[in-house]
Formats: sequence, C-alpha cells, structure tokens
Amino acid sequence: MNTPRRIRIAVQAAFLLLFVFLFLQTESKGNDDLGYPVKLFLDFDPLILITTLLSAHAVAAGFLLSIIVIAVTFIFGRVFCGWICPLGTLNNMVGSLRRSKPRISPRWNTAKYLLLVFLIVSSLFGMQLAGVFDPLSLLIRSFSLAVYPALSSATNAGLDLLYGAPNQSVNAFGEAVAAAAKKLYLPFQQPFYEQGWFIGILFLGVLGLNLLEQRFWCRYLCPLGALLGIFSRWSFLKRSVSEGCNECGACNRVCVGNATPHEKDNWKPTECLYCRNCDDVCPKNAVSFGFGSKQPTGSLNIGRRRVVTAALSGAVAVPLIRTVPLAKQGFHNPALVRPPGSLDEREFLQRCVKCGECMKVCITGGLQPTLMEAGLEGIWSPVLVPKIGYCEYRCTLCGQVCPTGAIKRLTIQEKEKVSIGTAMIDKGRCLPYAHSTPCIVCEEVCPTGKKAIWLEEVTVRDADGNVITVKQPHIDLKTCIGCGICETKCPVIDRPAIYVTSIGETRSKTNKLLL
Amino acid sequence: MKRRDFLRLTALTSLSVAIGVDNRTNQAFGAAPAYDLAVVTGASPQKITSAAIDALGGMKTFVKRGDVVVVKPNIGWDRTPEYAANTNPEVVAAIVRLCLEAGAKKVKVFDRSVNDPRRCYVQSGIADAVKKAGGEVSYIDERKFRDVKINGSVLKSWPLYTELMEADKVINVPIAKHHGLSRLTLGMKNWMGVMGGSRASIHQKINESLVDISMAIKPTLVVLDAVRVLTANGPQGGNLKDVKKLDTIVAGVNQVAVDAYGATLFGMKSSDLGYVRIAAQNGFGPMDTARMKIRKISI
Repeated sequence: MNTPRRIRIAVQAAFLLLFVFLFLQTESKGNDDLGYPVKLFLDFDPLILITTLLSAHAVAAGFLLSIIVIAVTFIFGRVFCGWICPLGTLNNMVGSLRRSKPRISPRWNTAKYLLLVFLIVSSLFGMQLAGVFDPLSLLIRSFSLAVYPALSSATNAGLDLLYGAPNQSVNAFGEAVAAAAKKLYLPFQQPFYEQGWFIGILFLGVLGLNLLEQRFWCRYLCPLGALLGIFSRWSFLKRSVSEGCNECGACNRVCVGNATPHEKDNWKPTECLYCRNCDDVCPKNAVSFGFGSKQPTGSLNIGRRRVVTAALSGAVAVPLIRTVPLAKQGFHNPALVRPPGSLDEREFLQRCVKCGECMKVCITGGLQPTLMEAGLEGIWSPVLVPKIGYCEYRCTLCGQVCPTGAIKRLTIQEKEKVSIGTAMIDKGRCLPYAHSTPCIVCEEVCPTGKKAIWLEEVTVRDADGNVITVKQPHIDLKTCIGCGICETKCPVIDRPAIYVTSIGETRSKTNKLLL
Repeated sequence: MKRRDFLRLTALTSLSVAIGVDNRTNQAFGAAPAYDLAVVTGASPQKITSAAIDALGGMKTFVKRGDVVVVKPNIGWDRTPEYAANTNPEVVAAIVRLCLEAGAKKVKVFDRSVNDPRRCYVQSGIADAVKKAGGEVSYIDERKFRDVKINGSVLKSWPLYTELMEADKVINVPIAKHHGLSRLTLGMKNWMGVMGGSRASIHQKINESLVDISMAIKPTLVVLDAVRVLTANGPQGGNLKDVKKLDTIVAGVNQVAVDAYGATLFGMKSSDLGYVRIAAQNGFGPMDTARMKIRKISI
C-alpha cells in the first residue's frame, strides 16, 4: 500500500472516531453544558449552510465553518467525501465486504446533482428538505434514533441475562461488564424512539447499497457530494497520468467514485473522491496527483433538460407539500409540542434539518421524530411526547445542540419563561375528580416556582357513600409552561388524566388561549 | 420452666434473632441513647450535624468497624441547595465523613430522583460533596429492586432497593419541606426514594403507606436537615421566598419521634401529620414532643 492511501485510511479512521466520540458526548452529565462541541460535523456542512441561507435568509454562526470545507474543496477536490465524511467511511467499510464490477450505468451519477438542484430550488422557495438527504444529518439521525438505541437494547438484554442468572459469580461478572459498558458506550438510560425501526431500515438500506456497488450512496445519491463535486471542477489538485500508462484498466476497478480514471483524458474531478486507490493500484506507477496539471479532464454533463426538470420539481414540490390543513390560518396540531426555544412553525421548518441532535440529547428522551404531524416538510422534526418524557425545567440542551438555530439557545432564566404548550385535565380519568381518590402527583412535580397546578379542597362521596375530602387539581394558564412532567408522572399511566397540547406556546402568535 | 414455655421462648428468640439478622438496621437492639432527640442550631451545617450526632453518643454508637452504611438523602429534584428541595450537601458529607471515621467499610449514597437523576445529583451538590468526603455515589439501577414483604395495613409488598436492604446500617437524611398532600415531607416520606415501581400511586393512601414503608425500613439513625426549609410550593420549590433558614439539625433514633418534632419547626402540631398520628397509634414511636427527652444545643 502506498503512503497517500495509508494516510487516507488513517485520516478516515480518525474522523470516524471523532464523530463517534462527539456522538457519545451528546448526552447530559448533569451540568448545564455538555462540554464538547457535539454538533461540530454539522457546522462544517456547506449543503446545510447554503440551503438554510436560501430558505431562512439567515444562518447560525457556526455554519461559517463550512466555508472552510468549500475552500478546501476548491484546492484539493472532494477530499471531504474521500477522507473525512463519516458516512463515506462507513460506506467504504461495508463496500469492502464485496468488490464487484460496476453494474449501474455511470450516467446515473447525475442523479445526485438533480437531487441537489431539487433541494436548492425548494429551499429557495422556503422549504428546507436538505436534511432528509444530507449525509451528516442522515448519519446522526440514524445513529441517534436507530443504531444506538438498538445497540443499547441488545447490550442490556445480554446484561439482564447475566443479572438474572441463578449464580452469584455470574451476577458479579454481569455487574463488572455493565460497569465497563456504561463507561465505554452505553447511554445513561435506554432510549426509545418512534419510527426507530423505520429510520434504521433506511440506514441499513443506504449501507446495503454498497453491496451492489461500493459507495453507491456517494456516487449516485449524496447531495452534499454533488455540491462538493461542482466545486471540485475547479480544484487545483488534479490527477495526471504519465506516458507509462498502458490502459490496463486496473485503476477503474478500484475507483470508488465513477471518475473514469482509465480514460486518460477523461478523468472526472467532480466524481473523484481523491482516495488514491488508482495511484496505489497502478502497476506502471503512472498515476500522480499534483497542482497545476495541464492534462484535460472529463466534464460534468448533467443535461440541461434534466436540470430544468429537477428545478421545476423543486419549485412545484413547495406548494404541493404545503397545501395541507396545517397551513390554514389558525389551524394548529395539538400534538405538535415543539422543544423550548423553537422558532415559529414556518421559520422552524425553514431551518430544521432533522439531524436528530435534539432528540439524542433530550434528557428525558421525550423529544421524538414526527411522521406527518408537521406535514411532509416537517418529517423527522422534533416533537415532545410527554408520555415518553417531559421537558426538564432547567435543561437547555436541545437549544445548545441545534445546528441551525431552529431551536434557539436559551439561558435557564429565559427558558423558565418559555411555554411550549398547556396542560389540560381529563376530569373523567383524574382520580380526585372522577374517582373520589386522593392524588396530587401533578401538583407535586409541577416545577414552576409558583406552581401552575393548584389544588382545591372539596368534599366528595366515595363508592361506599362516605364523605371524604380530596384535593382537585386546576391549571393556572398564566403559569403553565407545558413542560409535561405532570403528564409523564400521572399515575393514570395508560392514558394520563393530565396532558399537554400545543396551545399557549410562546413561539406562536395565533395558537393562543388567554386574552 | 414448662416445656411449652421453653418452646415458645425459643421460638420468639429465634424469631427476633432472625428479624435482627434480616433487619440489621434496627437500632433497637443496640444501647439506647440518653436522649430521644438532639436538636442543634448553628451557622455551620457541618458542625451542627456533628454536634447532633455527638449528643446522641457519637457515630461510633451507631456504626461499627467494617459496616457497609447507606446514607439516604433527598436528591429528588433538579435544584441547587439554596432552594431547599434536596438535603443540604454539607450535612450529607458530614455524615459520610463521620461514618468513615467510625470505621465504616463503605458509605453508599443514592436516591431515586423524580427529575433527571444526573441533574439532581450534580445540581444538588450532593454527588460532589459525598465524593469529596470519601463516599460512593451511585445512580439507581432499576435492576436492583426486589419485592419485599411488608404486610402493612395498605402495602402488602413493594419493590425496594436491594443495596439499602442489604446494608449493615442505614442513616436517613431527609430535608424538612412542605408537601401538598402529606403537608410535610420529613423522614418517613424520604423512603419513597428507595421505592421502585409506580410509587406515585401510594398518594392514594399516603399516610398509611408511609407508615407501612417506614416500618419495613427501620433506620439506625435519622438526621433531619432543617438548615433551610421549604415552607410552600413543596416538595420541589423553586421560589427563594418560600425558603426559610432555620440552621437546625434534628437527630434521633426513632423516625416517628423525629418527624413529630419536625412538624413543630413549621409551627404545626405533630398530630397534624397523618402518618405520624397513625405510626404513634400503632406504637411505632412517640408523638408527644413534650414528653420526649430532647437535648437542645446552640453553637
């Protein structure tokens, strides 16, 4: 193996490890801050920079880092794809399980450019769909909502077996393994996500495509790869082939990017991942990479008609997707309880890239991916499901990890004033109301300084006809912030007798209840 | 001695030994201290804690060399110490240190928090203080709850935390706070922190349940933290206006007696607390503070 290829593999490993490390750090340790820049990879993502800029006309400061990636691509080509992108590295790894000849027509390369055009045009009309296909969003979302929960669940199932064994030394062994696993990779508590299986299957699909052809995703589908490919056209670092080449075609067999390296004057910088496989494999040692090569290169030819069609599709998609009841003035989905600090719905959707960082970091696991609650454009955006987990009063982590500012970063003092919804009581199920049974759990756990749930002492009759006193809860609409801890902790566990809906959320001017 | 009497005596003795072994936390088998309660006031939480335990004969009266001790504070809420929602960290640390000085092999500290445990442990200051004092802080592991027979008036059995049930000595270190249903949460209610399962349902018969659970977990010692008390919006507070500084520690061996005295800190009568009333009626401890031997110290 030659040196550039070796260095490339080492660099890939280092970035993948960094990615996994930051992923594992996306978890509270009890302090107000996480202590690590966990969204770093997303900050370097120029696809998100450009689409957010177009859709929201504003961009979070962190994204200026992605200009570095653009600059690097102008100089060195698509090294981000070949050397850095953790999804690319995973694709590499899975693809190496099978090395088959390309079966797909190389013309399908253009698919990713068309997807890019579609995404950019729809973002121009204010719809942010890039996150669904962006490789970093896709990877973090898949890890957060599917891979990691499944890994944790499998580990815990194994540990349960050891704990449950009727042998004390096996139990002790289990405890030791558990301690090690907790230190190394286990989450603080088992996460559970709606659609985890679905997002997992999609992710396995992306990985599985490598068995059809290595780096299938990178070659044909990745919109970030397409964007960097376009920049790569003008990169200074170019491949050149010396006279020694006898056109044996060895390079083409190891090319992971459809760059046609075997066609001497038709090497395509837009498709090349600069992985150096061709350089490594060339029996004549005729391949070299350097600055200022004058050798002609292959051009990018997507086809004007196709580009126009993709652009039109992007434009048409916006009104098509948006014409749903949710878009009607004054229509609000009660279940759409957004994380604290979320922008008003329209602005929120213009920014949210569905990366899943907020759901990963949510301290109670209550933030879940939507399916159609927010329309198709809001798919996999975060919604609080208090039955699964409530919004911790003094926790501000979701706003800290949101890469695009769809969820604003709030101080604890600011957050205490932000309402994400309002609790309502189901008097037909509430114990003191419907069943003459004492219970004050919602009031007990209500976190606002002056409690948003107040108790009224009333005398009622129980089933035996005895007169007893119970305390019936009431909601103070001015104080309730909709955190949902009352719903999470309600002892009527199957369908809580107190529940939160989105009405009264601070971010909306129309979803109001109080005068 | 008749044969029947002999058999009865043997049975009773072995029963009480069995209970003693099973429930080693029961101080009733040790020498009774000269006072029912020690009530110490002063500016330093650490000093008043030490003084209260000294007044009851010192930690060596309660903890023997090699003991595994569980110190059970209230770490239920994501609040910093000045909000008086969790036990004062200095009080907890002082007790951990005293146990270790008395020769304890291990001092474990844990609580089944209501808010996120990570935030509760860190924000309360307790995790940090206990680690510095040499104690072991751990999060509750849901696997470690085991059903325990209680045979109380309401609770027949409940999953309780094995690390507590298997400890040689248990020291309860609650904080004195307002509570919407039981009026005050003191020592007996602090045991909710070692109850597994759907513990919120005990609110349906809170007073009876608290007595049942408290009789299943008899502590070696109870140290009630009233350095800061929460007078309203309990048990988690959040408003500094509701916090009152009393700079007081109440220590005792009988948990009913400690809770009975705790009521007086809030200007209430001990009989105002349903669980104290029921416990006293069942002979589990004294309720009449006027008849208790109380050592009052001010430093």
